[in-house]
Amino acid sequence: MKKKRNRVVAWIGIVLVLAMIATACGGGEEVDLGDAAVTTTAATGGGATPTTSGSTATTSGDTGGGGGVLVAAQGAEPDRFDPHLTSAYASFQVLENVYDTLVQPGADLQMEPALAESWTISTDNLTWTFKMREGVKWHNGRDFVAEDVAYSFNRILDPDVGAANAWRFGSVESVTAVDDMTLEIKLNRPTPNLLVSIGGFKGMSIIPKEIVDDGTIDTFPIGTGPFKFVSFSPGDGVVLERNDDYWREGLPYLDGVQFVAIPDPTVKLTNLQTGEVHWVDSVPPEQIESLESDSGVVVDRASGGDYHYFALNQNREPFDDVNVRRAIAMAIDRDEITLAAQFGAATANQAAIPQGNFWYEAIAPFATSDTAQAQQLLADAGVEDLTIEFLVTSDFPETVTQAQVISAQLADIGVTVEIRDVDFTTWLADEAEGNFDAFMLSWIGNIDPDDFYYAQHHSTGGFNFQGYANPEVDSLLDAARVETDQGARKALYDQAAALIINDASYIYLYNPDNISAWLPDVTGYAVRGDNAVRFEETQLNR
Amino acid sequence: MTGFVVRRLIQVLLALLGVSIIVFALIHLVPGDPVRVALGTRFDQEIYDRLVQRAGLDKPLLEQYFSWLSNALTGDLGVSFRSGRPVTAVVLERLPATITLAFGALFVALVISIPVGIVSAVRSGSKLDYVATAASQVGVSVPDFWAGIMYILLFALTLSWLPPSGYVSFAESPWEWVRHLVLPAVTVGLISGSILTRFVRSAVLEALNQDYVRTARAKGLPESRIIRKHVLPNAWIPIVTVIGLQLGFLLGGVVVVEVIFAWPGLGRLALIAVQDRDFTVLQGAVLYIAFMFLMINLVVDLLYAYLDPRVKYE
Amino acid sequence: MSAPDRPLDLHDAGTPPVEHQSRLREVLGTLVQNRLSVLGLVILAVLIVLALFGEAIAPFELNDIDVVNRLQGPSGDHWFGTDDLGRDVFSRVIIAARVSLQVGFIAVGIALAAGVPIGLVAGFYGRGVDSVLMRLMDILFSFPAVLLAIAILAVLGPGLRNAMIAIGIVYTPIFARITRGSVLSVKQEVYVRAARSLGASDARILRRHILPNVLAPIIVQTSLSLAFAILAEAALSFLGLGVQPPEPAWGRMLADGRRFFQDAPWMAIFPGLGILFTVMAFNFVGDGLRDALDPKQKSVIESRGQTT
Repeated sequence: MKKKRNRVVAWIGIVLVLAMIATACGGGEEVDLGDAAVTTTAATGGGATPTTSGSTATTSGDTGGGGGVLVAAQGAEPDRFDPHLTSAYASFQVLENVYDTLVQPGADLQMEPALAESWTISTDNLTWTFKMREGVKWHNGRDFVAEDVAYSFNRILDPDVGAANAWRFGSVESVTAVDDMTLEIKLNRPTPNLLVSIGGFKGMSIIPKEIVDDGTIDTFPIGTGPFKFVSFSPGDGVVLERNDDYWREGLPYLDGVQFVAIPDPTVKLTNLQTGEVHWVDSVPPEQIESLESDSGVVVDRASGGDYHYFALNQNREPFDDVNVRRAIAMAIDRDEITLAAQFGAATANQAAIPQGNFWYEAIAPFATSDTAQAQQLLADAGVEDLTIEFLVTSDFPETVTQAQVISAQLADIGVTVEIRDVDFTTWLADEAEGNFDAFMLSWIGNIDPDDFYYAQHHSTGGFNFQGYANPEVDSLLDAARVETDQGARKALYDQAAALIINDASYIYLYNPDNISAWLPDVTGYAVRGDNAVRFEETQLNR
Repeated sequence: MTGFVVRRLIQVLLALLGVSIIVFALIHLVPGDPVRVALGTRFDQEIYDRLVQRAGLDKPLLEQYFSWLSNALTGDLGVSFRSGRPVTAVVLERLPATITLAFGALFVALVISIPVGIVSAVRSGSKLDYVATAASQVGVSVPDFWAGIMYILLFALTLSWLPPSGYVSFAESPWEWVRHLVLPAVTVGLISGSILTRFVRSAVLEALNQDYVRTARAKGLPESRIIRKHVLPNAWIPIVTVIGLQLGFLLGGVVVVEVIFAWPGLGRLALIAVQDRDFTVLQGAVLYIAFMFLMINLVVDLLYAYLDPRVKYE
Repeated sequence: MSAPDRPLDLHDAGTPPVEHQSRLREVLGTLVQNRLSVLGLVILAVLIVLALFGEAIAPFELNDIDVVNRLQGPSGDHWFGTDDLGRDVFSRVIIAARVSLQVGFIAVGIALAAGVPIGLVAGFYGRGVDSVLMRLMDILFSFPAVLLAIAILAVLGPGLRNAMIAIGIVYTPIFARITRGSVLSVKQEVYVRAARSLGASDARILRRHILPNVLAPIIVQTSLSLAFAILAEAALSFLGLGVQPPEPAWGRMLADGRRFFQDAPWMAIFPGLGILFTVMAFNFVGDGLRDALDPKQKSVIESRGQTT
């Protein structure tokens, strides 16, 4: 009798667990469909979702010339879709195709009209008046008006929103919609780089008020861009479909885009080589050479304003001594570092701005691997047995590689490098709290020289974690900020840059190429210097 | 019996409470917080302070924990810092993939370990036993991320038999669901299977040495019948324990394999939550994982009672 | 160290008391009869020599960077080829033996030092003490192993020492469980009751009568855990949490080498073989020890039936 009861209870247990599992499964799917269904109806009146079977990319959506759904692999999952609040590159890869900015960088990174058709600047340089583009519609069918721009910019400016990009509006006094088609921005000082500040990247997207009000901005973004958001799930990634009402006539060509996240770079590339995806966001540099000789894959690269650097903590001894910093800057071999970390897909540079850029100036004060002079400088500074704790992160594996090469190079002048490889969040905390001898990373997406220098090297700059303070640099950067004459402005930046480099505030290493790869059926896509990923002119030829 | 189950369920609840305290303590000891992650490299102290305040992260830790706990007790696990979405939804949408992989891997493990384990126990000391032992050694010695990449390069890139990564839901396409499952399930299942093989072998060996088996042999019963009727029924009990525990671990998500295969499971969710200091999601994911684990333990104990009449719970 | 790697052990059973001298001889005798165990011991001996004298044996320094000559295949100069920074893989594999063995021994040492006393106390005193300690262990055990290790590492900061601590903490509940299970059966034995009736202190009973008789399953679990700890380091390295570069550990080398597998397979194959041989050696010795120490191999069911 006892035995039988035990059996019954055992079965109850099993059934319980199975039920638990079943509800869990059911729950998951319900949540997926629920989200998509509700928001889809609200937004697009139940528009059809592009069917992506999730199987091989090459079999999806054949509509002859140019249509189809492009499957794009990204290295990480988007976190949220509010362009003003996210800082994740994966999110911007998606949002780049959903939202527009008032103006936008063209292929040459010169600012071009986007939602604004044209603009005028007052004679005192303090009032900018933008004329809106006619006939632009939001993805939910509403007409785009100047008030949307005012709303978006004021949202970024609102400290309670906590937008990470509020600093780009440092000189903005007010943003107001004069009428449906006219926007006025009042400034408290001349701002020659205003266009870059308000349109240089999609963190400054123009959004419709209604999705903030109903709280769907993070889960169902509605923009004016070439593609409409359809759905996001961890399994299928982000699904976008063509916006038939897009303001650029005849674009986009694709029926839709699907972004899938593939974290491991080798696996991501394998997905491209097997045709599971059409496009990958980056290629491990060591693979470029073999890929470029592979006719099954197109590799494209472009250099932009990205740069890699490291900085020494000037709030700590002996790095407060400019000669110690200079000794380290001249003891390293940038060519070797560049070759080791980027396999040639980068150009060594002692300055931040790459050759070919309008703002480029040849500044290269240090000889390569000048160990004799470096040792002399250290000796003069009275520094012996120097150990540098080098803060790097495996989340950006090139920093770990570079630190090892630098470690070997600095050993030649008797300096020991202790590498501290932490996760990126710890890295950010340590950087902000000054908990490092040296840190290494890169800045990406820079367009205007103010992006390159001000926040990083002005003594009051928000990203000046190395503690650099040079009054001369401060006044040059302040003057350059308001100088409206391009030539005079460049001259100011050149002087500032020379000081920054000579003082080794940052020790610049190289400018990397941005690299993407895709299948030969993909045309009309080009890698951009600012890392933006735009599929509006892309076609899929099957 | 009922008393036993009730007591165990209370223990499960207490354990979950303990788990939540540990998660909370650990994640708050870690440098960095979700606001810092959200701001990224473009850090601004003013905005940072304001966001921290708004998220309530400036309150005393105990107060933060208890406010989380009191919400959790009403079934509200909070909202993800990272995505702004409800934690329950974020965790639940990962379950289908996790459960698919757990059972797929277990299937592979059982298909290998049960026959191989039984045969190498019955033919203990034979060449076959040696080969099986050596193979299972190799199986447990290969790190999973390494095995996974090897399979992808061989079966996806070179042979083009299977897709390299990703997950397709069963509802979308059963055929694609299976094709995407094979490689990750084999990666995990071979390791799991290697461990299980060793336990199956030793359980069967043990059962073979029992008196009643010797008696049966003495009676001249055919060997196959002895194994079927006397050995296996007794060997089942320890084997079920190990299978249960393995399933418990698998349902918790296999972090590394999920990363390699871009598998949208719980392990990867929890990993991202740790990296982004997304407290609420980490709590949700770990609580679910611990719950599964503890419940399966309970079910395994109840299964004893079913499999072995000698076991009684009071 | 993904979930299924977590070793599970079912040898919660005691052994009868024996005289230690003859017992040891008997165990060793049985062990050397097992061919695989002997092979395991030989491999371990070689590894220990490498760990002790690695720097002297290695032809190159571990961070001898030579970017121009990187990713070269095995040759007379570089027996195992060179890695992505042009360093000699042979030298690094040899020097890494010490780190990897260190990870194994120290991590498992921590788990032993924490888990065995917890298990002894819980099993010996039973009741409330037992409940509290074992529920705590259950909490740790129900944590996903990798996540627990990652979280601990995030708190402590990365590096070899902290990785060992993290792995040690993760494996602690296993040792506590096994020890407790064995204690439960041993403490019912006649000789323990006899010692107690003679007025021996708890500490003395634990040390003299119980510990020696629960060692067998602990030793077996130790040998298995050593192997798993080395693999755990590989998994942590894959996630960027292993030893700090440029220090080499097999796990980290394997994790780094995966990026170059198609162009330079030697970068991963040789450290991979290092792991394979070490894990096999520990497992062979562990299996042999189990057979020698615990011939009867009572299974988990009895102890669980009594106690759960």
